Amino acid sequence: MIEDYLVLSVILFCIGILGVISRRNVFTVLMSIELMLNAANLAFVAFARLNETMDGQILAMMVIAVAAAEAALGLAVIILLHRQKGRLDSNVFSLLKG
Amino acid sequence: MHDLVSFLPLVITCTGALLLMLYAVCPKAEQEKASLMSMGFFAVAFFAQLLVVCTVSRPLFPETFNGMLGVSGFTNAACLIVYACGFFTTLSSHTYFRENHFATVEFYSLLLFSAVGMVLLSMARELITAFIALEIMSLAIYVLVGFNRASSRSTEAIFKYLILGAFSGAFFCMGTAMIYGAAGSTRFDSIAEWLAFNPATTPLMLGGAFFLLITIFFKISAFPFHAWVLDVYDGSSNPITGFMATALKTAVFAMIANFLALSGNLHDSWITGLFWIAVFTMFGGNLIAIGQDNVKRMIAASGIVHSGYLLIALVAINSEYFSGAVIAYYLAAYSVATLGMFAALSWLGGEGEKRVTFDDFKGLAKRQPLAAATIAVFLLSMAGIPPTAGFMGKFYIITSAISAGQIALGVLGIISSIISMWYYLRLIVSMYFHDAEEDFIVDGSSLASISTVALAVAVFAIGLFPLVL
Repeated sequence: MIEDYLVLSVILFCIGILGVISRRNVFTVLMSIELMLNAANLAFVAFARLNETMDGQILAMMVIAVAAAEAALGLAVIILLHRQKGRLDSNVFSLLKG
Repeated sequence: MHDLVSFLPLVITCTGALLLMLYAVCPKAEQEKASLMSMGFFAVAFFAQLLVVCTVSRPLFPETFNGMLGVSGFTNAACLIVYACGFFTTLSSHTYFRENHFATVEFYSLLLFSAVGMVLLSMARELITAFIALEIMSLAIYVLVGFNRASSRSTEAIFKYLILGAFSGAFFCMGTAMIYGAAGSTRFDSIAEWLAFNPATTPLMLGGAFFLLITIFFKISAFPFHAWVLDVYDGSSNPITGFMATALKTAVFAMIANFLALSGNLHDSWITGLFWIAVFTMFGGNLIAIGQDNVKRMIAASGIVHSGYLLIALVAINSEYFSGAVIAYYLAAYSVATLGMFAALSWLGGEGEKRVTFDDFKGLAKRQPLAAATIAVFLLSMAGIPPTAGFMGKFYIITSAISAGQIALGVLGIISSIISMWYYLRLIVSMYFHDAEEDFIVDGSSLASISTVALAVAVFAIGLFPLVL
């Protein structure tokens, strides 16, 4: 039963990684990162149930708060990008070549 | 009482950040005044941190924080480095923003906030606390990187850094969840208790530690997560690049050294992995640095190499008598030289950072002998020439590797440091053995020039410090 939640969490995490790596739209990339954080939250809650402690539930709340802060900054950066480039495609970044 | 004293510097920095944030609302707010205030807060926090005497590792306010924060001699040293980095970064920003006009009061507030995150990160004795501290630090740094909103280079830099940073942050979170699943707690002491009776190679523990290390390798720009560092350093302003290269690395190394020193069990299971990462980081960083024409990118790439040396020290830590002295000493030596380099660049770079390549600094010694001499001191310290701090730092790291039985790693570290002479000496040659093509007219009385001299003195002071003891 608990294992199912963990499997779901791993699947969500992998979808998130794939999204960050393969998608070109900056919004989708940001959403994929949120998905990865939420996969971790699911794992926290599932493990809290497994270990029969409440810690995991509280840790998940903390992570949600941090994810919100990160999303706020991410959206601000996307607005800035849109103003400068007029597009939301990560292919347009070519000034800095590592 | 001891706890309160240990906590005081953090409170001072946090108060400073909040006060500056309030000051920014004030209609008469000026960024020059804000920079002086932030210098004051960093200096006071630094001296308050000096008052903290700590010989043994102990938890901070054990009833209130439930052992989630702790102090030790190593943490104190890391905090001191962070405050000093903040202070000198403020000095160089003060000068930098005379030529480049995009600073507001919030810039200094964010600098203090990121220092709060760094100090919390080195004090963290619990993984979610570490995650939150990491995010406080990173969110502030992201904004500082992209502070010049008119420049599309810096927008690209912040975007790259934000996406990759948040991506690696998600790994940290998942790793914490897995360790929580294995050990039933995210507190370091409980994890250490669990590891005393269980192997560190159980799948959940191994996977969790692996994910944590991915995040850490990303933050310290170790191989194979180093690709972002050149672009982000290149796209951000000179003082901030210096701050990221030094204070951020210090805090992250403090956290991971505290974590790996939890139990010999955990550390042993990662020695082979860390060994190869250290080797690839050193040589990969050297290869990248040799190919650079831009001084800022060269320093960024050399930062990768220095992360490699610090990873050698991580391989060699002894979890039974962990003091972290070698790591703290090297971080101090590296920070002083790198900060000095970026203070000099902020000062000499001019408007819009027009002097950036090796050729732009041709003949600097003829026009600005003092500036050229201090830059040469910083470069020689980074290359590890005696009697500078960089030499002593490398000496300690390599002896610690050899006494931990990692002779191959010690030898590879020496080879890497010989290779690194190539690109450090290139700038010195270009400053001293070419004729000047321009006059290098810069503001001579600026704070950044004072701080380069102070840091050049500190290079020798730190280098000779162990001989005094």
